Amino acid sequence: MTAELPDHYGRTELVLMVVDPLLLFAYWEATPESLGQAQDALGAEMEGARAVLRFYDISLIHFDGTNAHHTFDIDIGLEARGWYVHLWTAEKSYCADLGFVARTGRFQAITRSNIVHTPRAGVSARDEERWMRVRFMRRRKPDPARPLESVPAPPFWGRQSPEELRALLERRLREQARLAAEFAKGTSPGSMSQGSR
Amino acid sequence: MTTQPTGYLCLVLHCHLPYVRHPEHEHFLEENWLFEAITDTYIPLLRVMNGLVRDGADFRLTATLSPPLISMLRDPLLISRYERHLNRLIELASKEVHRTASQPEFHRLATMYLERFLQTRHAFAQECGRDLVSVFGHLQDLGKLEIITCGATHGFLPLLNVTPSAVRAQLRTAVAHYEEVFSRPPHGIWLPECGYYPGLDEVLRDEGLQFFFTESHGLLYADPRPRYGVHAPVFCPTGVAAFARDLDSSKQVWSAEEGYPGDPAYRDYYRDIGWDLDYDYIKPYIHVDGKRINTGIKYFRITGKTDQKQVYDRAWALERAADHAGNFMFNRERQVEWLAPVMDRPPIVVAPYDAELFGHWWFEGPEWLDFLFRKLHFDQQTVKPITPAEYLERHDVNQVCTPCGSSWGYKGYHEVWLNGGNDWIYRHLHTAARRMEELTRAFPQAEGLTRRALTQAGRELLLAQSSDWAFIMKTGTMVEYAVKRTKEHLARFTSLYEQLRSGHVDAGFLKDLEEKENLFPTLDYRHFS
Repeated sequence: MTAELPDHYGRTELVLMVVDPLLLFAYWEATPESLGQAQDALGAEMEGARAVLRFYDISLIHFDGTNAHHTFDIDIGLEARGWYVHLWTAEKSYCADLGFVARTGRFQAITRSNIVHTPRAGVSARDEERWMRVRFMRRRKPDPARPLESVPAPPFWGRQSPEELRALLERRLREQARLAAEFAKGTSPGSMSQGSR
Repeated sequence: MTTQPTGYLCLVLHCHLPYVRHPEHEHFLEENWLFEAITDTYIPLLRVMNGLVRDGADFRLTATLSPPLISMLRDPLLISRYERHLNRLIELASKEVHRTASQPEFHRLATMYLERFLQTRHAFAQECGRDLVSVFGHLQDLGKLEIITCGATHGFLPLLNVTPSAVRAQLRTAVAHYEEVFSRPPHGIWLPECGYYPGLDEVLRDEGLQFFFTESHGLLYADPRPRYGVHAPVFCPTGVAAFARDLDSSKQVWSAEEGYPGDPAYRDYYRDIGWDLDYDYIKPYIHVDGKRINTGIKYFRITGKTDQKQVYDRAWALERAADHAGNFMFNRERQVEWLAPVMDRPPIVVAPYDAELFGHWWFEGPEWLDFLFRKLHFDQQTVKPITPAEYLERHDVNQVCTPCGSSWGYKGYHEVWLNGGNDWIYRHLHTAARRMEELTRAFPQAEGLTRRALTQAGRELLLAQSSDWAFIMKTGTMVEYAVKRTKEHLARFTSLYEQLRSGHVDAGFLKDLEEKENLFPTLDYRHFS
């Protein structure tokens, strides 16, 4: 007989997880006490209030609760305890509150989530180069605190001018990236089978 | 001093299976995963490598041996069960030789299987001394093979990272295990499912790991843009090197449309006598409960998109494997010749594959590899096989970039391991990981029974974290088993947690668990702090 897992852990929490650059998964648990506190805080305004996940775009900032670039609410069913949230831009940092929005617009949080960073979905716009020399250690572990040595970027190599070479390498990288994106949608080890059938 | 080649080929085989060992059952179907992989893949690969060494064909191969796989390959119970499995296969093949006596084309194949299984038994017991891991280790000592490590139980790190101590424990346990087995630290790691997120390299650096691999877009989308794309590694800001999968070489082997393994001449994996033959005849060799399963004896070739399969022709299939090896080498030569003129060092082509593709799925895969390495050694100077360690010794100056979060699963991110079919596991996995960390704080210096309970709790947590369970839940075969394993390990963890918190460890319960799940006998529970 398979052991069953508990429905609840008696802890109020909201956890965000990244599925891909444009999709998050959120799961939560709210104890009756924490729900009660939020409801009490809203008082009469609780009548008709909606349960939401309030998302904060906190990319590249230290979030103090008020300085998010952008916020948005996702209506949820509290009892669902898990929700997929579709996004429209990649490469952002988010955290979220689980809470209630009253008809008056007043928001009462129950708990705040962890912070997640969505990955890039394309080639980076930055091309400034840093190079480093790192000595490989055979059969030994390098000291994690060893200093790392910055070195000048090697010159561009080839018959054309550095500008032409830079542009050529970038074109190749973008073409590879396009093919990689196509390939990831078709075949991957995750869908391994024996060839064409 | 040999001359510098135009480019390098870094072939990587990822050898991993989830930890499946059920002493409580005399026969357990899922243990066959290991037995089939030993017969179909690991022994053939070792024979290929030993043959190359014997014949003086220099080669370089990089292979993950995941900690669960190493542990299973060295487990006395599983070793004896493997031998029992192989003996039954030999018995079945002998019967097949008789049964097919009047059908020459099948008889030839039945004889091939019988000889092959007898050779396998000899290789396993005599040549390898029932210890495949030490044969892999010997090839590493010869400098031909680079064995890299993996997550302790192949946990998908980007989704365990909600509790950072869980990621550290996966890596610390794996590195400690590698050191115990090979008496030296691992140089590098295959991140489970190629799952990387920015910052993971900090944990890798702390554990002394010097390189890892990412999916192609891990580097193609790296920041800043890497000058040479996937054809040179980059250093993460921590100094840990990231190598990325090359698309062209991957496609030729993996692709369902263009890949070699789909060639009509190759053996068809799906037509197995376990399904084809008369039930009463085959019954002793399928599952004890009477369910038909694959036996490993297959008489047909892929033929084409048809149900009218033709009989397998071994000689023709081997010819195709040689052609395909030649084609692969030709393509790599042209590829590096095209890449090299605009690079300040020889381009590297990183070609990683699941090891079980070779031999298990693609029957002729080990021979393909054998032909490839021989051709690379004897027939040309343009492309040389290399390991990441050798590359980094020769080329210690590399660009600094932060790879992009990625995996090698469908669509390239986390969807395979986080979707409607398996998302329910994470609240439990994260809670257990947080509780384990809490236990290490509550018991910083435990001894005796308490220590044993903490160690077992860590073991159950690691086993629950295998990415294999979420993967199986997504793909839809054997789902029940994956669900059962996830729930069982988590439930056992929770019992131990509650016992430790209440100060009453049930010694009998603990002993029972220790006997059932014996992975990582020297596990240090403080890895979870």
